[in-house]
Amino acid sequence: MTPFDNMLQVEISQSLPMPLQGSFSCAPGQMLALVGPSGAGKTSMLRMLAGLLSPARAKVSVGTEIWCDTTLGIHVRTQERRVGLVFQNYALMPHMTAMENVALAMLHLPRSSRMQQASEWLKRMGLTTAEQQRLPALLSGGQQQRVALARALAREPRLLLMDEPFSAVDQMSRRGLYGLIADLRRDLQMPIVLVTHDLFEARQLADKLVVMDAGQVLQEGSPAHIYRSPRNARVADLVGIPNRFHGRWLGADGPHALPAGLAWLEWLPTPDASAGLPLVVSDKGRLKTAGQPVTWVIQSDGIEANPLTAMDASTDPQMVTLNAQVSQLRSLGEMSLATLQLQALAGCQLQLTLSGANRQHLQPGQSLTVRMDCRWIHVMPARR
Amino acid sequence: MWLARWLAYTNFKGKYLIEALVVLPLVLPPTVLGYYLLVSVGGASPWGQWLSQQFGLQLAFHFSGLVLASVIFNVPFLVQPIQRAFEAIPSNLGEAAAVSGLSGWAIFWRIELPLAWPGVLSAMVLTFVHTMGEFGVVLMMGGSIPGETRTLAISIYDRVQAFDLASADRMSFLLLVLSLIAVAVSFFATARIGRRK
Repeated sequence: MTPFDNMLQVEISQSLPMPLQGSFSCAPGQMLALVGPSGAGKTSMLRMLAGLLSPARAKVSVGTEIWCDTTLGIHVRTQERRVGLVFQNYALMPHMTAMENVALAMLHLPRSSRMQQASEWLKRMGLTTAEQQRLPALLSGGQQQRVALARALAREPRLLLMDEPFSAVDQMSRRGLYGLIADLRRDLQMPIVLVTHDLFEARQLADKLVVMDAGQVLQEGSPAHIYRSPRNARVADLVGIPNRFHGRWLGADGPHALPAGLAWLEWLPTPDASAGLPLVVSDKGRLKTAGQPVTWVIQSDGIEANPLTAMDASTDPQMVTLNAQVSQLRSLGEMSLATLQLQALAGCQLQLTLSGANRQHLQPGQSLTVRMDCRWIHVMPARR
Repeated sequence: MWLARWLAYTNFKGKYLIEALVVLPLVLPPTVLGYYLLVSVGGASPWGQWLSQQFGLQLAFHFSGLVLASVIFNVPFLVQPIQRAFEAIPSNLGEAAAVSGLSGWAIFWRIELPLAWPGVLSAMVLTFVHTMGEFGVVLMMGGSIPGETRTLAISIYDRVQAFDLASADRMSFLLLVLSLIAVAVSFFATARIGRRK
């Protein structure tokens, strides 16, 4: 069996009853996170994969099994899909013990072996024999979600779906669950789709993000790729990239000629500003028109600030040294979030997280130099 | 029960009308209900004549008619608690069961019925006692024929009319105790639903 035998492939396009558009895929052993604001259609997408919703036009397949193909009139019922679904509020049967809940997913087996397997699954999830005999109401939130996970896996699903599985669980149990899922992923060769609104969680757990907004899949890719090069300003917004600025694409039409592969970008304090700061960025050939308004982002990896020693101007044309003043400083536990006001561009602020010794020396109102590596800049056409 | 489950799980434009029809026997004076039943199934009505010709069935002033009247009169007592019990089941339990591979019947027997059972039980107990205490509809529909259509409540009335207070006393006390037990059972069952959440 090749790893792609169990690949999940989804293609959907419907406008009623709610819009859902887009396509994505998820390889076995891969964890895909559907992210986006509330009402973006993440849960509807998940329910559609489980067969609880029948879409107007869609194609869903896992490996060679076609679960839904509206053009061929195929819609496999939820009961026959072999899919595991973990709900946000656990959805455990309140009148059954933890063990009976798990055994419910194995009704095709005789009762004794069903109970034995349920017990094994629960043991694997870290529940003691005494806890396995309890009703869900007598278990903690974290334990209930472990039971729900055991029930989903007991069915030996070909696809595991999780709908905000950690949001009702307290912080302590959540860390335990993250660890459990990371361990399980190594053993289970099935695609896993996770719905979450917590970007930190998505970045930490998932190999792949699918960014959704208003029912549309906006972008699919690894977290690193999406954070480095969001497809448009909306994606940058949704995944919470802090340093996002206005600009004008100048192309080759800048202060001086540039080698091939580089282009001029003018950093503007407002979209309508007449003049700004020219920057040398990589030219990916996607923007053609000189003078075109753009939005651009820079990842924090490309920004360096040192409050202790002043930095000299670099000879590298893609390194820019800027003078700034700390306008706000907020402690986020082990890190500090600093807002820097740039002297050269009135109204432009850079956001920076600092940790370790660097943050100890930073004071509000302090002046410092910031070095920006323009290789980390990603330019997108502005939406008007 | 199917009507109650259907009302709990479906939503449509005219639902309020059906719900109103279900509750109607509760708000209607029993004599009015009894009167309409008598008129519609009595020997003079076309339907009543058809029934007696085809099946030899005489509904008015007979035990069978009383059963029909009781069924209609008790619809709200039966449907409402069962509907509430089904409505109280979180909708994603059914979905979780379907994802676990349970068929529609299995979901009903293993999940829905056990969870709604207190409501079903409470409905049955209430209906039982309510039928025993029936007065207005029975009097209209069944008259008061000893051994055929005489209920406890009518007997009490009869005894009081005959100044036989001792018998009325005994029967009233029996009805009081039975009603109290029934209501207590129904409350106990409802409390059990509440505790499980």
